[in-house]
Order: sequence, then structure tokens, then C-alpha cells
Amino acid sequence: MGLTSGFFTGLMIALALGSVAATVWLWPRFAGQRLTMMAARLGLIAASQLLVLAAVLAFVNGYFAFFGSWSALFGNGGSAPIAVAGAVASSRPIVVTGSDLGPVPGGSALPELADGKLADKPPHFQGQSASPSNVTVAPGLDLKNGAVAAARKVGKILQITVTGEHTGIAGAADYVYLPPQYFQPGYAHVRFPVVLALTGYPNDTWSIVRWLDLPSTAADLVARGKIGPAVYVMMNVSVALPRDTECTNVPGGPQAETFLAQDVPLAVERTFRVQAGRSGWAVLGYSTGGYCAAKLAMMYPYQFSSAVSLAGYYTALQDSTTGNLYGGSTAFRNENNLDWRLMHLPAPPVSVLVTSSLVGEHDLAGTLAFLHLIHSPMHGYSLFLQQGGHNYGTWVRQLPQSLEWLNQRLTPVVPPAQPRPRPSH
Amino acid sequence: MGLTSPALIATVAVFAAAALAAILWYWPKLSGRGVMPVAARIGALGVLQLSVLGLIFLIVNSSAEFYSSWSDLFGDQSGGGAIVAGQAPAGQNAVSSRSVAPLTELASSAVAVPGRPAEAGGRLQTVRLYGQLSGISVLGYVYLPPGYGAGRVTALPVTVVISGELDNPASPYGAGVLAGTAASQIAAHRLAPMIIVMLPAAIGQHDAGCLNVPGGTQAALFLTQDLPQLIDSGYGAAPPATRRWAVAGDSSGGYCALQLAMTSSETFAVAAVPPGGYTAPPGPAEFGGSPQIRAEDNLSWLLKHQPMQPISVLLTGSGAGQPFLTGARPPMHVGQVGLPPGKWQLSGVFDWIGSTLQPLAVRS
Repeated sequence: MGLTSGFFTGLMIALALGSVAATVWLWPRFAGQRLTMMAARLGLIAASQLLVLAAVLAFVNGYFAFFGSWSALFGNGGSAPIAVAGAVASSRPIVVTGSDLGPVPGGSALPELADGKLADKPPHFQGQSASPSNVTVAPGLDLKNGAVAAARKVGKILQITVTGEHTGIAGAADYVYLPPQYFQPGYAHVRFPVVLALTGYPNDTWSIVRWLDLPSTAADLVARGKIGPAVYVMMNVSVALPRDTECTNVPGGPQAETFLAQDVPLAVERTFRVQAGRSGWAVLGYSTGGYCAAKLAMMYPYQFSSAVSLAGYYTALQDSTTGNLYGGSTAFRNENNLDWRLMHLPAPPVSVLVTSSLVGEHDLAGTLAFLHLIHSPMHGYSLFLQQGGHNYGTWVRQLPQSLEWLNQRLTPVVPPAQPRPRPSH
Repeated sequence: MGLTSPALIATVAVFAAAALAAILWYWPKLSGRGVMPVAARIGALGVLQLSVLGLIFLIVNSSAEFYSSWSDLFGDQSGGGAIVAGQAPAGQNAVSSRSVAPLTELASSAVAVPGRPAEAGGRLQTVRLYGQLSGISVLGYVYLPPGYGAGRVTALPVTVVISGELDNPASPYGAGVLAGTAASQIAAHRLAPMIIVMLPAAIGQHDAGCLNVPGGTQAALFLTQDLPQLIDSGYGAAPPATRRWAVAGDSSGGYCALQLAMTSSETFAVAAVPPGGYTAPPGPAEFGGSPQIRAEDNLSWLLKHQPMQPISVLLTGSGAGQPFLTGARPPMHVGQVGLPPGKWQLSGVFDWIGSTLQPLAVRS
């Protein structure tokens, strides 16, 4: 019974309604004025209140996709000290686990197939069956004729599992968005730039598709000539849910930083037709993903040339959800504090766009402090809204400009030779 | 009242408490039979439940600031902003970035191979390498094989040798001796041309086994990120996606070599080292007070606790109790060659490196 399944949510709602009904039904039996009766009433009300709260939490969790599964919420029992999910016995660093995820959202840009249908939750697929095909998208995934025609119009979102060669970490269910151009004959030999997109904590990776609207926003901007096509690799920033790993190489624990900064790019570069290294890679994230976007770019500037931090923070967090992230070492914690790095280490050659709101975002002060510490050869940019809280509505408003800003820093694909009006910027 | 205002939270809290107290107190009055009392119970419970849920939402929301206002909550917030380039003017901050040339050639000489023309041996450069990320400056040597730069289109393989004996002409690890050994092997066609980068074992302040000292010298950062970038851009070596370097070293340089292969195999895929325990880094212990970081600095611990790395390691000499021989499983490959004690035969090591790098280089 999946944590986010309709059955589980329905069951919880039924239990909650049942508890309210039971309270109403049993009400007359506790009408006495003795203290025990008073206590029993309180107990009855508390029990039904808790069940109602549980139902609301199950519904909200399923709706916003905070925790995608029971193991993400409670962990999957014991795990090896460093290898989080255990090394998957596969010679391929990326395995495609689902490809029929429905049309890429983006009605305005893609009228042909966008029927407005988009799964609320990530669909779960058992893998691809072998079938006659004519386009190999990635090792292990071939598209059938009909699917190719569709992909050439709207692109494709694949569900993938990335296994880290060096860290042994295996991402649970992440996604990659391949733009329509990826499948078009004219671009058959073109290598695309890559944007690595990171969730916040706690999140299911599908949130980037469902709530941040990243693929549809990108598709819309490409269709309007505002940005060039790129491959978007969407990853969960938390590699060991329910633990908040803060993309840190935890001493004696999960090497989340190495996984996201080295394993994932290497795996993507070996699997898809993408560019390699800093001129073709950028990283973007919101909230915890924002901190990680800035951190990965600053610590791996030869892999990522630019980063967008939507409502990120810039100091090294440690709380009850993270556990001991720094091995008890203040010095190592400092190294994960981006402000400290700018004050004590040479500035890296990267560009970072930070976003916040003048009203409604409590990390505004921290964002300004970080911005003021940035110095050459690092370059800082800011996008501040008048008002907006720490939510998708705010980030959706900031995303188009952020993608345009990223687009100016990535090596564009060379469009195929065909008469086509040049997009004006 | 604002969505996140304490006044709203207080109001809802008072309301919920009053609702609870009223229900508990007036409970008997609602316990009758019939439609009206039952409807009153449902209504009372509903009001209480909703006010408690509302209170919880308001408290969580105001502490995390998910929604800053009513319009934010109901999704009719609009309006954008402009992207502004904003950073402190140069020189304002504590660490102003010095403009240091990344790669400076200090001297260069031909490498002689007995019985061959002067240009047949390649060249040995003395260089200063400055790591842009680590801020570390290192004096080292770069051996360029014959034919380097003469219209080559394919990238040359790279071997990094780390040793404290580079400046000792009597040691097999003297820079000139290393270069001469490699040049002879290349001239005799026993070794494909390769670039050899020679670095001292003490990188940064002191010999810390090429590790990042928490909060201090970032030697690993220099070696794993700055160095590949410097060599790629300075000498046109293979780009990151196809990069497969070898690393070799003696004594603490041997620890460095194994450490680099064990932790950064995306660059250092092949390592050759003399026998040794490799259980703790050389030099004073620098682990920032963290027992976990100290454990990770132990290569035997890494062998036991991290996934097997896709590396090939050659142990030279017949050291007893080598954990690397018994503990390694694919994709990690460990081989051992017995050599006469006291003399590390570099020509054989270079041959092995050359033959091990080659199939890997064409793999990607």
C-alpha cells in the first residue's frame, strides 16, 4: 500500500470520518459530570482529532509529494555506512525505469499533443519491454515509431535510476527531460547542454515536473525562441531519505556531494547525447536544492559553470533531520558554509543567480549577505520579487527569467541548417 | 490580519481552546437523541477540528514561511522582478583574488637518450602550477614526450608521479631520472608517448598525504580538480569525459597515489605504488577533530566501507599482508609484481602503466 496511493489516502480519510462518527455515536455514554467522564471525552476528541490530522497529512503529502514512499518517510532499515541503497548490480550507470509518463506538460507551447493531462503522481513502471524500434534514446531504451513521432513534437520525460560509480548511491526515481530537438533528425549529431535540477527537502523528484513546471516552462521558452533546447536532469537532492543529507560528503556516511557533482554528470555524459564539462553544464535548485546548486557549482566549477539558487540558503545547516553531517568537525562544517568559503578560500570561476523576496522569505538577509561576499572571478546575480513566500508559486514566477539567465551561460546547440527565423533576444 | 501574524495565531488558538472547553462542558446538553442534538454534535466537532487544524497550519506556516500572505496562499500573487548583477567591488573582501598565472614555465631542457638524436627524448619543463580553487602553488616538473606539440590531434595520456625525491638526481625519483627512464622506454617503442607530471609529496604547507585538511590546506582539491584543469588547458590532454590518468609515487607519494585512485577514480584510474601499510596518512594527523574523517583517511577503511572503485592498482614488491591484494574485488583490480628489494624499477612500472592506460583510453 503506497504512501501516496489513492487507496491509502482514502483509507485514512475513511478512518478519520469513522472516528468522528464514532464520537457522535458514543457521545451520550459520556454525558456524566464525573472527572473520569471528562477525561474520557477529552480522550475521544483527541483520538478523532489525531486521525483527522493523519488523514490531512496523508492527503497533503500525496498532493505535494514530500515523501514519495514509506521508505523515504521511515528509511529502509539498516544500510551500509557509505553505500546508501547498496550497489545495484548493473553495468549501466543509468537505467530507464519508465518512459510512458504521458505528454510533456505545456499546453500553450505544444498544442499538438498537450491535452492537459498530467499525472499528479509519478507513475511507476516495471521497465521497458523489448520491441522493434528505430531510435535509441539511451542504452536500454528504444522508442517505437509512433513514440518517436510524438517525441519529436513534445520531447520526452524518462524515469531513471542513477547508480553512482564512485559512491554506490542509487537514486530511487529521478527524471530526465529530453527536448523535442533531441529526437529530430537535424539534431542527430548535436550534443545538448545540461541543466541539473534539484528538489528541496523533503520532496519526491516528480515535484520538479508537477509543481516547479520545469519541463513545461523550458518547452514554452524554447518554442518562443527565448532559450535554446537543453536536457534537464531532475534529481532528488536527498540521496538517503528521510535523512536530509544537504549534498554533503558525510564523514563515514553517504557521499551525497560526490554523487551529485561527479557520479551523476559522469553517468549522464556517458548515457545521453550531451555536452561534457563546465561549458555545457549548469545546476538549479529550490530551497535545500538552492543551497546545493550554489554549493556544487562553487566546489565543482570545472563541472558546472553556473547555478541558480531559488530561495536557497548559504550556511551549513545541521538539525534533527540532518543528523551529524560534519563528523563533529567545526572546520569541515565551515568548508560546507558558502559564506565561509568566500571569506577564506579563493573564489571559484562560476556565476550564481540567487532569488528571494523582499517580503515573505525569511532567508532574504542571508541571501544578501552571501551576495555581498561574492567577488571576482565569481559573479553574483540576484532576482528579488516584491513579495512571495517559500513556495512553488514564488519559484514558478522566478523560473522563466532564471532559465533565460542560464541559457546565456551554456554552450548553445548548433541548430540544423534549415530556413528558420533567428530568435531575437 | 496577516497570514503569518502572531495576532491571528493567538486568535485562532484562543478560539480553539474555547471551543474545546465549551464542548467538554456542554457535552451533556448535546447528548440527546434526534436529529438536532446529533447535528449539533457534528457541528461542534467540526468547528473544533477545523480550528485545531487551522492553528497547526498557521504555526507551521509562520515558522517556515511557506506562504507569506493570503494572496500567496490562494495563488493570486503576481509580479516579477529584474535580474541584477550584484556583487562586491573587487578588493573589498577579506580574500581578494590575486591574479596568478595558472601555469608558469620556469625552465626547459632536452631529455637525452643515449645513442639517439637530441630531439628523440622529449623535453623536461620546470613549472609553477597555481590552483585557482585551492589557492595552492606547487613547483613541479612536466615531461613532454618526443612529438609533443608537433601537430598532434589525439590527446596524450597523462601519468602523475608524486615523490619527495624529485630534486635528488641520485634517486630513481629524481625528475631528470624519471624523464630519462620514460624517454628511453618511449624511444625503444616499449611505451606509448605520454605526459608525465611530477609533483612533490608535500603539497601546500606540509606533507599531509595529499588530503584536504579540514579548514586548512586543500591538497586533494588541488590534485583532483585544479591539476586536471591545468594540464588539460596547458598541455591539451584528454577532456574530462575521456580522462584516464595514471598516478604513481613512493613512500608518502605512494599513499597519495592510492588515496587519489581510491577517492577520485574519475581522473586517477590507474595507480602504481611500492609496498606499504597505507593505514594512516603520513605527517601529523589532521582530521579536524572528527573520528569519522580520521577513519576515511585510512585507505584500509575505505577499502572495506566504500564501493569497489573502477581502478587498476599495481603493487610493486612483495609486501606481506597487503589488504589491497585480499580485499579488492571487481571493478577494482589489484596486481602485484615482485621486484628486487630496495630498487623500484620504474621502467617496468611505466610499461605497466602504458599497457593499462591504453585499453581504458579507447574504452570511452
